Amino acid sequence: MTAGRYANKRKMSRLERKNTLIAYSFLAPNFLGFLIFTLVPVVFSVVLSLLDWGGGQNAEWVGLGNFSFIFDEFSFQDSNLGIALKNTVFYTAMTVPLTIVCALGLAMILNRGVKGANIFRAALFFPYVASLVAICVCWNFLLMKDGIVNQILGAFGIVMDKSWTSSRDLAIWAIIIVSTWKNAGYYMVMYLAGLQGVPAELYEAATMDGANAWQKFRKVTLPMLTPTTFFCSIMMVISCFKIYDVVAIMTQGGPGRSTKMLVTYIFELSFGGEGIATSAQYGVASAVAMVLLVIVLLVTFIQFRGEKKWVNYM
Amino acid sequence: MKKIVSLVLALMMLATMGAAMGEGKTTLTVACWDLATTPYYAAIENGYEAANSNVDIVWVDLASQDYNIKASTMLSGKDTTDLYCVKELSDMQNWANEGHIIALDDYVAQKAYDLSKYAGMDACYVSVADGKQYALPFRADFWVLFYNKTLFDAAGIDYPTNDMTWDEYADLAVELKGDGVYGTHYHTWLSAAVNWAVCDGVNTLADGDYDDLAYFYELLQGLEDAGACMTYDELKASGLHYSGAFAQGNIAMLPMGYWYASTMCGYIKDGTASFDWGMTAVPHLDGVAAGSSFGSPTGIAVSAYSANQEAACDFAAWMCSEDGAKAIAATGTRPAYVSEEVAAVMASAEFMPTDETSLAALLPTAIALEWPIGEGVNEIKTAVNEEHTLIMTREISIEEGIANMEERAADYVK
Amino acid sequence: MNQATMKTSRRKKADVKFVISKVVTYLLLTALTVIALLPFVWMISSSLKSSIDVFSIPMRWIPESFRWENYVEIWQKVPLVKYFQNTVIVALVVTFMQIVTSSFAAYAFAKMQFKGRDVLFMCYIGTIAVPWQVYMVPQFIMMRSVGLYDTLWSLVALQSFSAFGVFLMRQFYLGIPNDLSEAARIDGLSEYGIWARIILPLAKPAIATLTIFTFVNTWNDYMGPMIYLTTDSVKTIQLGLRRFIQAYTAEYNLIMAASLCSLIPVTVVFLFLQRYFIEGIATTGMKG
Repeated sequence: MTAGRYANKRKMSRLERKNTLIAYSFLAPNFLGFLIFTLVPVVFSVVLSLLDWGGGQNAEWVGLGNFSFIFDEFSFQDSNLGIALKNTVFYTAMTVPLTIVCALGLAMILNRGVKGANIFRAALFFPYVASLVAICVCWNFLLMKDGIVNQILGAFGIVMDKSWTSSRDLAIWAIIIVSTWKNAGYYMVMYLAGLQGVPAELYEAATMDGANAWQKFRKVTLPMLTPTTFFCSIMMVISCFKIYDVVAIMTQGGPGRSTKMLVTYIFELSFGGEGIATSAQYGVASAVAMVLLVIVLLVTFIQFRGEKKWVNYM
Repeated sequence: MKKIVSLVLALMMLATMGAAMGEGKTTLTVACWDLATTPYYAAIENGYEAANSNVDIVWVDLASQDYNIKASTMLSGKDTTDLYCVKELSDMQNWANEGHIIALDDYVAQKAYDLSKYAGMDACYVSVADGKQYALPFRADFWVLFYNKTLFDAAGIDYPTNDMTWDEYADLAVELKGDGVYGTHYHTWLSAAVNWAVCDGVNTLADGDYDDLAYFYELLQGLEDAGACMTYDELKASGLHYSGAFAQGNIAMLPMGYWYASTMCGYIKDGTASFDWGMTAVPHLDGVAAGSSFGSPTGIAVSAYSANQEAACDFAAWMCSEDGAKAIAATGTRPAYVSEEVAAVMASAEFMPTDETSLAALLPTAIALEWPIGEGVNEIKTAVNEEHTLIMTREISIEEGIANMEERAADYVK
Repeated sequence: MNQATMKTSRRKKADVKFVISKVVTYLLLTALTVIALLPFVWMISSSLKSSIDVFSIPMRWIPESFRWENYVEIWQKVPLVKYFQNTVIVALVVTFMQIVTSSFAAYAFAKMQFKGRDVLFMCYIGTIAVPWQVYMVPQFIMMRSVGLYDTLWSLVALQSFSAFGVFLMRQFYLGIPNDLSEAARIDGLSEYGIWARIILPLAKPAIATLTIFTFVNTWNDYMGPMIYLTTDSVKTIQLGLRRFIQAYTAEYNLIMAASLCSLIPVTVVFLFLQRYFIEGIATTGMKG
């Protein structure tokens, strides 16, 4: 009895070991490059958050000094970290749902067999392809005081006396709009690819059960798209938390600090802002990045747990 | 096979290196920005190579808007580029602190190099930390007032003079306003709007006291309201650059850094702009000497990772010497080295205005530093700039903005 | 009213409903397409203006005079052909490497049980979460020490092994029912065989997606080339674009013209691959 169990266990572990080796062989080509060019520098930057380093020969161990600097430098509410965190969270909380709804909606429409779907798909994907400088300059024009967006709003009786990027309240919305506009097509493509994986039989079965369109969407489409949604939402949350380029080109974090984001702040600490030279506080910048990392990992972890639950249903 | 190829390549490299050494030619690589559009780099290169036939100067062009990012990263990676132009003063302080660039004191002492001709600009490159000289200035830009003579003539108004107060200037701007014509133009920078407060040489922008900015903010907003200049909102959203704006020919005056003179020369040369233009000293406040301005130098530093530090020092010294200054001045740019001869070369640059007033504007009575150097200045600069954008977009009142500046700067003022 | 007319009226009602829903769908799609393309109209219009006219207020949608020479000038002002070549090479190599290594690695994450799988996966995701700006300097130091600085290989090394690709492929693999791979295992297929014969053919839409994203991202990357490339002969298209924004002037008309030109290759790739989005698992005869 006991002997048999032992043998069984050894057999299992040998199989497991073999399995693990095969798994590692699958991972190896990607992992090696990933390790050298990404993981090691990232780990280095984690260590960096505990150092005072300006990019040169001397680095000094400061323990949690960088963290205490960003957290209780002044009252948190008015500190750069506090404001950047607030802006980033708001931006993420608005952009992610907005983009997902747009992307999924577009994918659903296009998946219904519209005539000219090819053209629509390409047109809607176009914003993602264009170079960012050109796009941001362009949107700044459209969102100007006398720009076309304000003219249209004016026709509906909403009078705007300012460019969007000149207003403390609207500047962040300008960023949200441009991000959504740019990325909706990208995630739409993700969803389109995901939708192809939903077996037609499921819909047939649902139709036979007398489900209406909404029920089919709720009970078939959404659950079957869970891996895609999981991927899209995590990628989106992460990229929203890392928002930098659009802000740098459109508002430079302004007016005031109304669009200052976490990475804008990180950048400022490492390399200075517009017309402001380097601060080279790489240690402090890393500490801010660690705050960002913890938040993102937390969100990812929650979504990860959720996904496991969902995917098991399949 | 691969090995053989790489071996052959390595041998070839060695051979070429040997050949280069055989000739005894040293190559110096110099990091700079806007190589293609800045004529003085070529002038410096030609001038130096003519005097030192055994040295080959190679410019390394880095994107201007990301210069400090790239240069700092290269230095952290111990890149072997020999010299770095210094775009921002605080860059140099950081590089010196990190041991990226070498102190030039020994070289200066050994060659008995004369620092007195820089009108104090050399002091900007003394490290706050150890008091050593880490770079030399080759360019020193101060602010002047550019004006469009053609528009003044059309309006029948006398040209501005080198002795004009800010109030007179504001009146003039309103007077010049016409159909599609703006009296003046302010770029969106903090410097263009209110840096004038430092011209008296008493205050700096890092001293934590910003009451003296109120006058300039009020003046500017008054001009905006009167329609005498484009609004900040418009400029910021459209991204309109002052260089193109003034070249358009519908702006009568433009307070701007002297570097714009060489851009204007280029515009006249290629036909982008077709009007008469001139320069005067920037206006001044009552009680401040006429011809007072502010500015910043541009310098050159020697990398600690250079294999040819001796030769690099020699090149840096030449670039900042009278000979180098003449080469720079001939392209319409103002070198840091000041002498009558250099001023004469500067005035004779192609397409420069030649009237008396413009020539006199080349010699300001006093130049205050745009921003001082020191610890905490970067943070103050960020805070003041941020509040500046709020004032200019009229999200908050001038008083409120200045109060915010003072409150936020107080945390860093040493 | 007899039965027959009631039936026809009901059918008519359904027809009307159908027509209305079609009309609404097309109107909506058209409106969204207009929004998506509006900025491009502005770009085209700006690319035909002089650098000063781009900023004229109020803006003109149709330029006063068409400056077609902008499209000639961009090729003369900067070595755009060389930049295009470099970018094409990098984008192709990166995309190829990315597809091969990611689709391979993702198999282990999605379809195999092994020790440390979840931890390793979190490691991958974790690195996506760290902003590149933070580890840019350490990475530069690594890259320089292995001698890749200022070569196109640095970009290949930078982007070929991204965690993004692994993550994307894993998600698509998860959507492929496990029964398939189990059945193949019972039939005696090795893991490599399952990957090559079962999973990969089913993952065509995913591969098409990843190809497009990798290609576009590599094509539009600015910061990477900015940091890693210095010599003119190895620079990429985005660096070339930025050369029209110089310290004292910003020639947005040329930027617009050049970025419109730079759109062409990416669009071609997209148009070429987009059929794979419709011809996915559902039509390859797989029954879930």
